[in-house]
Amino acid sequence: MENKYTGRTFIVEIIAILIGLVFLVPFYYVISNSLKTFADILTNTSALPSVLQWQNYVQAFERLDYLRVFTNSLIITVGSNVVLIIFCSMAAYMLVRTKKKISNIIFMTFVAAMVIPFQSIMIPLIKTAGNLGLLNSMWGLVIMYLGFGSGMTIFLYHGFIKGIPVELEEAAIIDGCSPFGVFWRIVFPLLKPITVTVMILNSLWIWNDYLLPSLVLQDPALRTIPLATFFFFGQYTKQWELALAGLVLSIIPLVIFFFSMQKHIIKGITSGSIK
Amino acid sequence: MSNHSKLEKVNSAAFQNQPNVNASRSVPFMKSKKVKKAGLFALFVGPAFLAFAMIVLIPFFTGVYYAFTDWNGVTGNVSWVGLDNFKYLFTEDKQFQQSFMLTIKYTAVAIILTNIVGFGLALLISQMLKTRNILRTVFFLPNLIGGLLLGFIWQFIFIKGFESIGKLTGISLFQLPWLGDEQTAFWGIVIVSVWQGAGYIMLIYLAALQNVPQDIVEAAKIDGASRFQVLRHITMPMVAPAVTICLFLTISSSFKIFDVNLSLTNGGPFKSTEMLALNIYTEAFVNNRYGIGEAKALIFFLVVAAITVIQVSITKKKEVES
Amino acid sequence: MAFKMKKFSVAAGVLSASLLITACSSGNTSGENKSGGESKGDKVVVDIFQGKVEIADQLKALTDEYTKQNPDVTFNIETVGGGADGAAALKAKFASNNAPDIFTNGGDQEAQIWKDKFEDLSDQPWVKDAFEGTLDGMTIDGKVYGMPLNMEGYGFAYNKALFEKAGVKELPTTYSELEDAAKKLKAAGITPFSIGYAEWWVLANHGLNLPFAYQEDPDKFIASLNDGSGKIEGNEQFDAFFKLLDLTMKYGNSNPLTTDYNTQVTLFATGEAAMIQQGNWIQPMIDKITPDMEVGFIPMPLTDDPAQSDKLMVDVPSNWVVHNAAPDADKEAAKDFLNWMVTSEEGKTAMTKEFKYIPAFKSIEATADDIGPLGADLLKYSNEGKTYQWQFMKYPDGAGQEFGAALQSYIAGKSSKEEAMKAMDSTWAKLKK
Repeated sequence: MENKYTGRTFIVEIIAILIGLVFLVPFYYVISNSLKTFADILTNTSALPSVLQWQNYVQAFERLDYLRVFTNSLIITVGSNVVLIIFCSMAAYMLVRTKKKISNIIFMTFVAAMVIPFQSIMIPLIKTAGNLGLLNSMWGLVIMYLGFGSGMTIFLYHGFIKGIPVELEEAAIIDGCSPFGVFWRIVFPLLKPITVTVMILNSLWIWNDYLLPSLVLQDPALRTIPLATFFFFGQYTKQWELALAGLVLSIIPLVIFFFSMQKHIIKGITSGSIK
Repeated sequence: MSNHSKLEKVNSAAFQNQPNVNASRSVPFMKSKKVKKAGLFALFVGPAFLAFAMIVLIPFFTGVYYAFTDWNGVTGNVSWVGLDNFKYLFTEDKQFQQSFMLTIKYTAVAIILTNIVGFGLALLISQMLKTRNILRTVFFLPNLIGGLLLGFIWQFIFIKGFESIGKLTGISLFQLPWLGDEQTAFWGIVIVSVWQGAGYIMLIYLAALQNVPQDIVEAAKIDGASRFQVLRHITMPMVAPAVTICLFLTISSSFKIFDVNLSLTNGGPFKSTEMLALNIYTEAFVNNRYGIGEAKALIFFLVVAAITVIQVSITKKKEVES
Repeated sequence: MAFKMKKFSVAAGVLSASLLITACSSGNTSGENKSGGESKGDKVVVDIFQGKVEIADQLKALTDEYTKQNPDVTFNIETVGGGADGAAALKAKFASNNAPDIFTNGGDQEAQIWKDKFEDLSDQPWVKDAFEGTLDGMTIDGKVYGMPLNMEGYGFAYNKALFEKAGVKELPTTYSELEDAAKKLKAAGITPFSIGYAEWWVLANHGLNLPFAYQEDPDKFIASLNDGSGKIEGNEQFDAFFKLLDLTMKYGNSNPLTTDYNTQVTLFATGEAAMIQQGNWIQPMIDKITPDMEVGFIPMPLTDDPAQSDKLMVDVPSNWVVHNAAPDADKEAAKDFLNWMVTSEEGKTAMTKEFKYIPAFKSIEATADDIGPLGADLLKYSNEGKTYQWQFMKYPDGAGQEFGAALQSYIAGKSSKEEAMKAMDSTWAKLKK
């Protein structure tokens, strides 16, 4: 780390802030329009709201049944993350440490399947899922996310685990540690930075996913935030004032999550590199 | 036969032990070390692979079967048509060929821009900036909006926002009919996906940059290395593994682009921005020609898989060299 | 080699064992028993699948009312809206053996795709009450397979105040009169047409419907396209359509290809443009932007013969259908509910006052207060028999989008009228079944 805050750093900082502002432009549109009336959104899109329409948020909150859909989204996202992290870190670890052809084949299968477009397998997928009884349940959806997310998660863990020296594990085995003990006590803690990264990347995708839950969850009581938000979009009339307020409500938890997590990425990485 | 009974024991042991991971030390049945190793392998890899096989592989191969049929997606009548669908695609379906080329062009542009911007942002953030925590979040924020909504919001910006900015500043760039022209509509999609994807890629580069040992950088500087030399000879080789990951992630996500394509331009104007995933979707669900849609998906998969495998092995080799 | 075999079989054994475990446990925990249309004893659960989020709440209220009167029948409504295409979700449901008891279908070509799944509804009491022509889209080989949800229609919606301001006294009903009106509007500094040609369906479905509907016998014309004896290129009505298209472009807002539906309706609803090619579905949006705006419909004329040109395009956009493979009890309950919806007082009231629908049944009365001025104008034209049907429902699957692309390319100046028509002919040949 460079520790001095020089004039050059100041200039870099100004440039960075300017770029940051450009990145925020769409959020200006989302937030300012979420506080306008429907007519205002369509006629004065770029202007600041003349009168703040806080009732958009109240209405969106009620119409979305926010607490319920938030809970559903949370359960699904957390559940999927837990199974993805447990099973994929284990799988990636074994695939790295087993120097056999089969490991390579399995790994490449996972990786290759990442490029399958979801739209091309959705019908057979729902068919299979129906046979396995995975439809219309959050638990079933979590298993599906395990299937879909395993490719990228294993890919990321795989790359990271390769960089971990095997000597640590060998020492532990000599001390009488079982393979599970070695993995969970020695290796898994070392994976913290990549685990946090994986968690963030998977959460984003699962939290915002629309198509898969729309096919799997039929019971209105199981609706997630994106499913509920799309109820503001009719065939012809899109209720933008409510949809945008709903969008802000749905990304606030993610912003908080990301902001609290990013410290761990940095911490984890620096502590990892010391060892 | 003895194999079989052993196998059952392994299975039962494996599943008894699954809830309590530390108990596997006390498994008495595993006599052969090899079997034990194989059992462990299955235990570690099995659950993820199983879910993956059920959710991705089986549906994928079912889809492959449909690629050789004339199924319309609804009726019970599915008849085998052999290679007819593929023949049709290569000889008659110009839209498919056009979408294919467009997707390749888009992927190339998006990969380069997303990685350059993402790496640039990571370099910026890794400086000792006072605002770096906030900026890191800001650059990452675009990822927090799901694809379909993202497209709708940018539609507002391209149609309404650009118009207001154009009126205000008189800059002709903002007065173009962005989504109504095939060239600018293409770049519109690129802008949106780079804007969204750069923060994601930045995060991975950032993690890699944190791993560059500062003592080496300092030593190089003392030896008189310029900033660019440090970047070229120390930083870049150290982040090479991250490049592999980022290239792969951008390749696979760019090839599969769907949500933004659908909600921003829906392929328009005049189908000039219809990328492959959308073309496949339209064929299968709008044209009701599921078989042809699956045939397209299969060709698409083979090409993309080949490209990514080549990419991964090339960059892996480079990693080793450097 | 032996080693490898062993390893594989162990792995396979573990996999299959855990497959069983997963299958069992998920079977226990999923809430499967609620859907799938199973019936226990006398209790029946009717699964409804529909794509209009606009009526989701109202439909729920209506089914609750029905359940109050028939406690043994409850409903499970699934509404897929907005972002994704409902058709894909419906196909997924059928593929997973999770088919709903009641779903919707657009009729004509879409009915051909789904006809294996339809229950014959010809014997239902409401059949005799339907307005003439409203059952055509769902009638196959003389049997009625669907109950119309409502009627929708379009033409040029116009702003009465702006017409008055520009001195357009007689409402135009022919092409020449429309051209005159456009000139007058332009002279008064008003944009005559709000044109949203970024939307393929505005052009290819609603616009291009005109020359199809103007054919002496549209079905015969479509049949001739199918067998290759007829052509779009060179057809007189299609030439006339391009003339109308040119007129709207000459007298329309700039950048039509970036004008999406939202922008198009906003231009009209804010009074910037005097006419818009849209249907009665824009009423809620107008009400939100400029409440109590005085609007009405004029036809989209291709010719100067009022008997031919003074007509609006009115049809049934969607129909309720019953799944023929559903359990008998479910089917009975579903049919009874559909009938109740259009014959009971509660159902009729909900249809007009809650759904704000223009009813497709003679037995249901709608007032302008319920359905708005645009709906009232449609009903007037409809009652006078001055309507054309929606022929675009008969296009081959996916042809609409491609026609839209051909017309957009014409509007962008990338292709000539002849090229656009040739492109449409080859699209038809490519996509016909």
